[in-house]
Amino acid sequence: MSSGSVLLGARWRKVMRDVWLHKARTVLVVLAIVVGIVGAGAVLDTWSLLRRVTREGYLATNPPSATLRVSVDSTLLARVRLLPAVRAASARRTVTARVRTSTGWHTALLFSGADMGASDIGRIEAVSGMWPPADGTLTIEKSSLEFSSAAQGDSVELQLSSGVTTSPLVLPIEGVARDAGLAPGWMEHVVYGFVSPATLTALGGDATPNQLRIVVRDAPFDRDHIRRVAGEVARLAGSLGHEVTEVDVPVPGRHMHAGQMDSLLFTQGAFGVLSLLLSALLVVNLMTAMLVGQTREIGVMKAIGASAWQIAAQYLALALVLGLVAAAIAIPVAAAIAWQYAAFSAELLNFDVSNASIPLGALLVQAVVGMLLPVLAALLPVWRGCRISVNDALRDGASVHEPTPSGWIMTLGRGARSRPFLLSLRNTLRRRQRAALTVTTLALGGAVYLGALGLRTSIRDSVDVLFTEQLQLDMSLRMVEPFDASVMLPLVASVDGVARVEAWSGAQAAVEEADGLLSPAFAVTGLPDTTMLVRYPLIDGAWLGPGDLPEIVVNARLLADQPALTVGRAVSLVVNGQSQVWRVRGVVESGPSPAAYVSPAALARVLGESRVRSLTVRASSRSLAEQSELLQRIRDRFGEQGIAVANASLVGANRGAVEDHLLMVSGFLLVMSELAIVIGGLGLMSTMSLAVLERTREIGVLRAIGASHGAILVMVEGESLLLALASWLVAIPLSLPVSVLLGQAFGRIMMPVPVRWTPDPQGVLVWLVLVVVVSLLSAALPAQRAMRITTGEALAAR
Amino acid sequence: MIILRDIQKTFVLPAGPFVALHDVNLDIAAGSFVAIVGESGSGKSTLLSILAGVERPTQGTIHIADVPLHSLPERALTQWRGKAAGIVFQFFQLMPTLTAAENVMLAMDFVGRWAPRERRDRAQALLLRLGVAAQADKLPLTLSGGQQQRVAIARALANGPALLLADEPTGNLDSRTSDGIFELFGGLAHDGETVVMATHAAAAGRFATRTVALADGRVVQS
Repeated sequence: MSSGSVLLGARWRKVMRDVWLHKARTVLVVLAIVVGIVGAGAVLDTWSLLRRVTREGYLATNPPSATLRVSVDSTLLARVRLLPAVRAASARRTVTARVRTSTGWHTALLFSGADMGASDIGRIEAVSGMWPPADGTLTIEKSSLEFSSAAQGDSVELQLSSGVTTSPLVLPIEGVARDAGLAPGWMEHVVYGFVSPATLTALGGDATPNQLRIVVRDAPFDRDHIRRVAGEVARLAGSLGHEVTEVDVPVPGRHMHAGQMDSLLFTQGAFGVLSLLLSALLVVNLMTAMLVGQTREIGVMKAIGASAWQIAAQYLALALVLGLVAAAIAIPVAAAIAWQYAAFSAELLNFDVSNASIPLGALLVQAVVGMLLPVLAALLPVWRGCRISVNDALRDGASVHEPTPSGWIMTLGRGARSRPFLLSLRNTLRRRQRAALTVTTLALGGAVYLGALGLRTSIRDSVDVLFTEQLQLDMSLRMVEPFDASVMLPLVASVDGVARVEAWSGAQAAVEEADGLLSPAFAVTGLPDTTMLVRYPLIDGAWLGPGDLPEIVVNARLLADQPALTVGRAVSLVVNGQSQVWRVRGVVESGPSPAAYVSPAALARVLGESRVRSLTVRASSRSLAEQSELLQRIRDRFGEQGIAVANASLVGANRGAVEDHLLMVSGFLLVMSELAIVIGGLGLMSTMSLAVLERTREIGVLRAIGASHGAILVMVEGESLLLALASWLVAIPLSLPVSVLLGQAFGRIMMPVPVRWTPDPQGVLVWLVLVVVVSLLSAALPAQRAMRITTGEALAAR
Repeated sequence: MIILRDIQKTFVLPAGPFVALHDVNLDIAAGSFVAIVGESGSGKSTLLSILAGVERPTQGTIHIADVPLHSLPERALTQWRGKAAGIVFQFFQLMPTLTAAENVMLAMDFVGRWAPRERRDRAQALLLRLGVAAQADKLPLTLSGGQQQRVAIARALANGPALLLADEPTGNLDSRTSDGIFELFGGLAHDGETVVMATHAAAAGRFATRTVALADGRVVQS
């Protein structure tokens, strides 16, 4: 063995023994890296997993390139299949219904087709039980199970909207299936079900398909091409006497909620990167501590011939090993968290992650980051530590790093009556860079925490505004047949408990674009000009005027989707198959779904129907239970009159689901911010450990001049508390831009929320309590170490 | 009066037990200025540590003003040290972020013997007595070595201890400044303070009222 390898062996033995000797510090470094990788890795894994599952899962269903709402017969289907641009076409019927489960009546959407089991377009996955559904049975879509409390084996009452005057049919749920192309039932509050054409007929409905779904042959991801082909199909249908009322061309290859999920995960990814950054700052602190503690040894190694580079390599290799250990711990933990979160998110989007695996690339990225993070973070402290001269290192050990206190330090706390407090105060600022780093790390966590709290308050406020200020109605009912408002309104108004009732008309509309193709459809509501059941705040332009002018007010969400709908512009809209030019009169804020509002007279002229189908009611009582009873009384009144109700819903019942859904985002952000605060706490702990290590002699001297254990404890905890309070203070203004950014990001993804320019006072107080607890816990171990320092150590120090 | 009887101190080292002090018997009268001299490793610092209650003897007894230091619990020992003994270190060991006066007041804050409103005046008086009153509001690193040591002595006297212990107090000072410190200790002893100092400095003998020489942990001259 050469002398070089002997020397090399001894160096590495020293590294390993140092690791063992300073177990607590080693564990802290590893923990810091673990926390950073877990934070960032969990987000990366979740994103990779969800992207893989949603993209691959969605494409595996062979989703339709376009869906046309049209009455389909065998001739039309055959002619469409012959079109060269169409690779496949299928037809099915969708029909609204209502279903009674153990929790009451729910709105339902039924799908029926002759070839459902064999259909190649929008393949449906059988989860359990029967698929396709046999005659006289119902197969339920998986995402509808939980909110409706339905289960396979149950029997439910099913009634078509158009057959409400007849008795409902009791059908057994014989199977559960998953349709990844549907918006989740829990989110839409709709029970999706699949029945055979014979069952549909037995329910009293028409089984003729009313939806034509096509897959294009070429350029399947070119939306313009798909729209051209869909236009060709629509023209063919028209030439055969079939009126196409709606053409839907979704973004090709992307699940309808993929954009939301990407944006959400992107925002969360930013927090992942933040946690990584914070953990890097922590590693810088800890590596500095390690090198400060080894100053004498560095001096000795240099004195016996080691170069600065050799010593630096030794410490950087140690950082690499610690990174490897941390990565080995963090990667499985991050993966476990990601599995839980991805499974939860995928379930919300109606996908299944159980058969998917985290892409190897994501795991490799974490391994590389885990190894490199501590090495990069250690570069500066190692470089500084190894540059020290032999004389300096041997002369005074750790204290050579102690900077000379500036004169201005004397001004701090001048006049304070307690010198121990003064000492804590001034010690806090002895290492200004380190103090700034510590305060910043903790403050960032606090700023995100306050920002997330602010976002949560904003979301609640927005939902509150939406459901109590903008929407003054408590329930809505849709009739099977159109009715004359002048007859229906007095009938409902006479029901006990009704405060106000209005008749609204509605239709689906689409923007007719220059090439003759249609935009995705959106809801148009004909609102009486005397309406008192909505108060949508105006963002731009003006509200609708009286009369039947072809004017339209759009909401902010629709404007975001269709930027052409600016105030003053004349746009061609296709409503109920009729094309007409409308002028955009104003823009309002009215929630997360694209919507537009017109005068009832203008809509009646386009629809060729002055009667309406919808009733909106405000109850005298604010109690949801009493509103539910009122709804039943209204239904009973209609039943007495032989009026068929297609569906009815309570606004209040939807509120909780909407709020919970939106609050999930702020909930996740809060968890991420708590992680950031934990990292900040570890930073504080490392700073205090370092302070105790560097001031061993001073603490010994304090003991010698009469400081008790309690006094030392109070001083260390006091210093930690001062740093924490500084973080608390810094986090408050820092939370404002964070809050604004979060609010804007949330607005882009979900729904606009008010921007908060002031932090939530309660949140600030909670953050204060949190930061005090974090500071006390962080300083507990260093304080314990400080209390163990004896006067003997001070007397022995040279 | 300080009475040490049959003091033995053994340190257990990885290489085996090391006896730092062998059967030390010593009586030191109140108001005397004792210089403990000897080579490095002779046991001077260990003896000083036992006198300060920082180390406990492995065997033997030590009484200072009738207080049995060898049997006092740790907490009581800390309280005793704060009130009865002042310690001066070779490297001064002043708190770098506190001014000279604040360093002196810090010791008073810990012990609480003087009311808070009296502390500033007392610190100023001590600094005046030690000739560094003009430096009261300066940070230690702006002072010379001799001035720092005088501030350290003022801090050691802050709580009015009857015993002043100094471990190599002039080890970091030039001979002229050292003489000034020794002279100061002599003055304190003259005023009734008991001063025990461990030192290498041969000049200490000129100022001390008594010299105790140690060699290999034994008293060879008293």
